[in-house]
Amino acid sequence: MKTELTISTDAIDESALAKRREMSGGMGAVVCFLGVVRGSEGDNAISAIDYEAFEPMARRQFELLFAELGQRWPVESVRLVHRIGVVPVNEPSLWLEVVAPHRPEAFDACQFLIDEMKKKVPIWKKPLPA
Amino acid sequence: MKVSVKFWSYLADHAGCKKAEIEIVNGATLAKLHEAVCEQFPKLAGSKNSTLKAVGLEYEDDDFVLSDGDEVSFFPPVQGG
Repeated sequence: MKTELTISTDAIDESALAKRREMSGGMGAVVCFLGVVRGSEGDNAISAIDYEAFEPMARRQFELLFAELGQRWPVESVRLVHRIGVVPVNEPSLWLEVVAPHRPEAFDACQFLIDEMKKKVPIWKKPLPA
Repeated sequence: MKVSVKFWSYLADHAGCKKAEIEIVNGATLAKLHEAVCEQFPKLAGSKNSTLKAVGLEYEDDDFVLSDGDEVSFFPPVQGG
C-alpha cells in the first residue's frame, strides 16, 4: 500500500492534490474527506483554530495506523494532509484520500483512520476567539 | 537517574514551562514519575487521570520502567482533524 503523509503549516490545496492522484486499473473507488474549521466551539464564535503537533510522534502514530489499515482493507493508497498552526474558519485542516477497489472498503478505511487519529495522533487545537 | 519531560498543549500552560528535567530513583515507573511531576507542578494534578504519556514516540503504560535519559511526554487527550 502506498502512503503519503504531509504535516504542514501550508494551506491545503485540494486541486493540486487531486491532480497528483495515481491509481491502477483495478481501483474503482476514491473516497476523499475534508475536515473544515467550524465558526464556533460550543457556544463561542471563533475566528480560527491554532493546531499544535508533537510532529515526530504524530508521524510515528500515523505510520502505525496506516500499517493497521493496510492489514484490514485491500487499499491501494492513502494520502493524508494535516495542516497545523493557525487555520482560519471555513478552511480545511485535514484532507484524506483512500483509493481502493470498491466503495465499502474505501469508506470503512477512511472512517477508521479519522476515528483512530482522533484517539492516538498527538495533535491539539486551541480555538482563537472571533 | 534523570529523565526529561515535555509538556504539550494546555499542560504546558498548567506547568508554566514546556520541558523539565526530573531527578528520580533508578528503576522508577512512569506512574512514579507522574506522581513526582505532579508534586513539582501541582497544577498538573487536576488533569492527572486524563493525561496521556509517551516515552520517545510510543505510548506507554503506567508500569513502564524508565531508564536514565528517557524523553517522556505528557499531554492531554488528542484533538486532531
